[in-house]
Amino acid sequence: MKLSTEQLKQLIKASVNAHPDEIGCDDCYEKLHEFAELKLAGKSPEEAMPLVEDHLNRCPECQTEFEILLDALKAAESAS
Amino acid sequence: MSNGYQKNPKKEQLPATNEDWVEALSAPADQRAVSFLREKLISGLKPALHKYVDRELDQFVEDVAQDALVKILDNIHSFRGESKLTTWAMKIAVREGLTELRRKRYDDSSIEEFRYPDDDGRNELTSLTFASELPDPDDATHEQLLLQKVLDIINNELTDKQRRVIKGLMIDEMPVEMLTDQMDTNRNALYKLVHDARLKIKDKLKLDGINADELFNDQ
Repeated sequence: MKLSTEQLKQLIKASVNAHPDEIGCDDCYEKLHEFAELKLAGKSPEEAMPLVEDHLNRCPECQTEFEILLDALKAAESAS
Repeated sequence: MSNGYQKNPKKEQLPATNEDWVEALSAPADQRAVSFLREKLISGLKPALHKYVDRELDQFVEDVAQDALVKILDNIHSFRGESKLTTWAMKIAVREGLTELRRKRYDDSSIEEFRYPDDDGRNELTSLTFASELPDPDDATHEQLLLQKVLDIINNELTDKQRRVIKGLMIDEMPVEMLTDQMDTNRNALYKLVHDARLKIKDKLKLDGINADELFNDQ
């Protein structure tokens, strides 16, 4: 099994930026609707919920889910 | 939640507040409110998911909305009012849609492609190595030595499960769903495994007085 230098560097970067207080995907999901609504209202959810923001920056799956949720909420709003 | 909305079918307005919504969607659910919510979900899902769905978008989105509605109605009393109910409901629908899409992607992937050569992916991993072998220590640069140090940490300090996740996600580039299925776990637990691994690497580097920042000075 081979790790390329770039893959290893990527892992090291993620490691040195690791924080004991990081939340997981489940905790992020629990807050995602509130976070999204604040975002759409032009408020600063990253200040109110920094751990959610942090998780979204680290987790591509949750980030994608968040972006789709924002798109869906905007579309539903403009359709109504 | 006391306007008795669903018990008064002659009332014309759709739910206006979260309390109205919870009332209307509690059993027996007001079918007009359910229909309105279904349409709202579809109106959001369709444009948001269109680039991820290769065919039959309408049918896919309707199925997703229907499945999401079942979950929404089943869990209506877990809604705590931190947002508009429709925002919470859309979150559930998006999760439903993405789960289905990821499942399809997983089904479409070649399972064989991700099998370990000598086992079914459930046995212990041997150690990880570099794609290119490192030079002798005397000739190695500081960066190469640092990379080797981290590789040693991965091989000697992390658990077998953590190494399997690193291999699955980084080397094999497996879809998360495939890896969670293979490891009989879920996305949250997988994240936690990687998180613990990252912390272990960070702590070990710190303990050894190694500063990895210079690796990223040019990035």
